[in-house]
Amino acid sequence: MSRESFRHEISRAFDDMSGSPSPALSARVRSALSEKRQARPGPIWMAGVAAGLIALIIVGVLVASNLNRHLTGGVPAGGPTTSPSAVATATPSASPSSSPSATPPSNLPAFVCGLNTSLSPPPAPLTAYVSDVRTGTHPGYDRITITFTNGLPGSISLKPQNSATFASGGGKGGNVTIVGQAGILVTMSSADEHTAYSGPTDFKTGYAVLAEARQIQDFEGYVQWALGLQHAACYRVFTLTNPTRLVIDIQQ
Amino acid sequence: MEQRPTAMERATHGDADSFAMLIDPLLQPAFRLAAVMLSDRAAAEDAVQEAAVKAWSNLRRFRGDESSLRSWFLSIVANECRMTRRRRWWSVVKMADVEAQRHTDDLSPEATSDLRRAVGRLSLDERLPLVLYFYLDLPLDEVARTLRVSPAAAKSRIYRAAKRLRADLTLEEVS
Repeated sequence: MSRESFRHEISRAFDDMSGSPSPALSARVRSALSEKRQARPGPIWMAGVAAGLIALIIVGVLVASNLNRHLTGGVPAGGPTTSPSAVATATPSASPSSSPSATPPSNLPAFVCGLNTSLSPPPAPLTAYVSDVRTGTHPGYDRITITFTNGLPGSISLKPQNSATFASGGGKGGNVTIVGQAGILVTMSSADEHTAYSGPTDFKTGYAVLAEARQIQDFEGYVQWALGLQHAACYRVFTLTNPTRLVIDIQQ
Repeated sequence: MEQRPTAMERATHGDADSFAMLIDPLLQPAFRLAAVMLSDRAAAEDAVQEAAVKAWSNLRRFRGDESSLRSWFLSIVANECRMTRRRRWWSVVKMADVEAQRHTDDLSPEATSDLRRAVGRLSLDERLPLVLYFYLDLPLDEVARTLRVSPAAAKSRIYRAAKRLRADLTLEEVS
């Protein structure tokens, strides 16, 4: 198929999706504009924003310090071990932390099996910087936690697969095979793992299900992690704040 | 001889009519962009309206001229679409296995429908460069300005997203 044909077909597909705006859109926008005056920052506005920011910083510092005091991985009660080393130490006891839980376990999403999952996180920074990656094992699940500064990535997708061989990212071509019989490919857009993170990019964990986690792409705003599983398994994915992080639990 | 201020100058000095006149030709591409990103025409019109108001509110910060207004406005529309999606956060989308449904190169009417489904499976950040480049027909440097990345990075994003729709696409075809 020629380039023009592809362009034509994709335009047609987009056309089907969008159609034309209603004739009233122009008038609607004009009306909205006439009701809205251009913002002129003034002392009251600035004072309000400054007060809000200060309050947010204070709350953030208090919450973060409280969590750090108790948590081993910045995750909810019963959360993962936070060994930053490539061979993380399991803590099967996983006694519930006494720290306040950012998201009680009962609020966690259900495990899903064999389905792709896409998340469109709330913040849309130009780039979310990975600042930490940790793994841990707990009764019932293994966990990988990816922490970010500057908000969450633009999008996050998880794709389970029936092997632990993944297409290598970053335009390198070829495949990467990691430990395990099945896998999950985690893709994050508008993300970067080389600016704020210098830790391990390959965790050979030896856990019950999550056998290995390896970064296979960090290129042009795309970060991919390949998760090697001992066998196909259900998983759940969610995000937490303070600090901002993505949590993936693999059911044992 | 005294020159009359341009529409952009009048808009910058608070003339809403001039600003409305400037962005009027941009509303249709903005709507198309929003409609594809949100897959919802009513939400798209809301997003365009909101983006227009935000652009108007922030016009003083705009450092370009009329020629760069389109990419600036479209980037605001794209951000507004992200905000709209953000409000739907936690509505986790579970999709059937993508691999099994990946389209072929044969673009018969059925395949076109496959293509549409495949487009529907792209993430918002993957759709954006495709819409800008293939649908709105923006030149590569304007796509880059809208995405706020370098032209090389924009080309790479277009290629990467398009390759998810057509596996045998070559980088040269995205030029």
